[in-house]
Amino acid sequence: MKRMLPESELARDERFVRTKIEDRLFDPRGPKVAQRNTGPARMGVDRPAAGERSRSLMHGIFVGEIQALEGAGRTCYDFDDETAPFQLKLDMARQCWDESRHCEISVKLGDHMGTEIGEYTESTFLFAAACNPDPVLRLCGVNRALEGLAIDVFSSMKDFGNESGDPILEFCEDWMLADEVTHVKMGSDWLRRLTDTDPERRERALEFQRTVDAIFNLGGFRGEDDENPIQLARNFRRLAGFTEDENDSLAALARESTEQAREMAEAATAALDASAQGS
Amino acid sequence: MTETTKPRAPFAPWDRRELPGLFTVEETARRVGNYKWAEMRLFEVLGGWVATVPELDVKLVLGRHTYHHAWHAELWHKRLPELREMNPDRLTLPPNDAFVTFMDGIREPEAPGDTIEKLVGVYRVLIPRFIGVYTYHLNGTSTITDAPTIRSLKFALQDEFDDWRDGEMLLQSLIDTPEKVERAGRRQVELERLYLASGGIAGPGSLGEPV
Repeated sequence: MKRMLPESELARDERFVRTKIEDRLFDPRGPKVAQRNTGPARMGVDRPAAGERSRSLMHGIFVGEIQALEGAGRTCYDFDDETAPFQLKLDMARQCWDESRHCEISVKLGDHMGTEIGEYTESTFLFAAACNPDPVLRLCGVNRALEGLAIDVFSSMKDFGNESGDPILEFCEDWMLADEVTHVKMGSDWLRRLTDTDPERRERALEFQRTVDAIFNLGGFRGEDDENPIQLARNFRRLAGFTEDENDSLAALARESTEQAREMAEAATAALDASAQGS
Repeated sequence: MTETTKPRAPFAPWDRRELPGLFTVEETARRVGNYKWAEMRLFEVLGGWVATVPELDVKLVLGRHTYHHAWHAELWHKRLPELREMNPDRLTLPPNDAFVTFMDGIREPEAPGDTIEKLVGVYRVLIPRFIGVYTYHLNGTSTITDAPTIRSLKFALQDEFDDWRDGEMLLQSLIDTPEKVERAGRRQVELERLYLASGGIAGPGSLGEPV
């Protein structure tokens, strides 16, 4: 079997429908949807779309967990013993088991919430971050950026479970949250150990992490305001070893992304209005 | 009140453990190094295959088993310095080149349609051999002097039996036509030949046969 598997070769059964991130971003229906004033994006139990949003997010978590499992598995295989130390591979193998359990939990939670595999689409850009040929960059992108995002997602879902009176959802999200904190710690630990004497490599890895973070802030998905569906979980991030400076800069990045999304939506709305007046 | 000064035998009547065993410290270290090498190559390929199998149940089982074999490799890695091998990498070796060829054969399938070939290699050829070689070691080593190896062998064996059952049941559910029976059989024969040429996970004498 070859090393380094491109995301296009991820194996799925016929239920899964794959989309590209650009398809979602440039969906021509986007500006019209943005015109509707649907109120704050933060998932609230009093919102009419809360059930639908939470099911969609749960499906997103499920496919994300599959890709996280696949990414950790590839890190066990893609590198020789010199490029990736034995202990790093052991950590990745442990992560495989954790992500495998998260897939099982997510499938069962999906059933519980009334959705099924394939009801929503799958984007594979999470796995794309796990394809970096440098194991340090890969771990920074996956274990610090994406598993950090998972902390925010699980914390938001746990709160939603609590607020909506769903103890099963709250219980399961809390367990997954515990694992994600461990995964982020692994990423931080290996970043420190493997770049101890190579500050340039460390900076490249952190830059890659910022890029991945920026992608997942896209369109104001994550932040600290009511406009963000996923809330930055500062307390859990602190537990995972992120410094307050790191949390602050991620929050700033998130605000920037939210602002850009708002400007894009306003521009699209103006274009639609102009086109409507012209016709 | 309990009588505290009455002598008791150091071994209870039901404790039948004995001192002699089949393996010296050096031989034990060599075998443990072979086990670690094989478990490493196994957990790596199980992890690598996760992304290449479309069957969701197989994908999740492979994810779980990846960790089991990584943990076995870690147990052996930790045992080596206790067997006077302070540089565990030095003994983390295949027994011979033929065993490398066999493991390359196990790791070869890649395509999404090759799930049967992947599982046959691991669950019908390699893991039954792990069960054999670990059981031989368990039954032959000194139950007193080599107790730490015995403890690790028992943990590993429990996983091997459970994982073998998981994999075998997946195979039984996937092999649903006479053609697939043929495919599975061909694959097994091909790999068993390679295994035979290597002499086993610990080389010739893996199961105590005369070398």
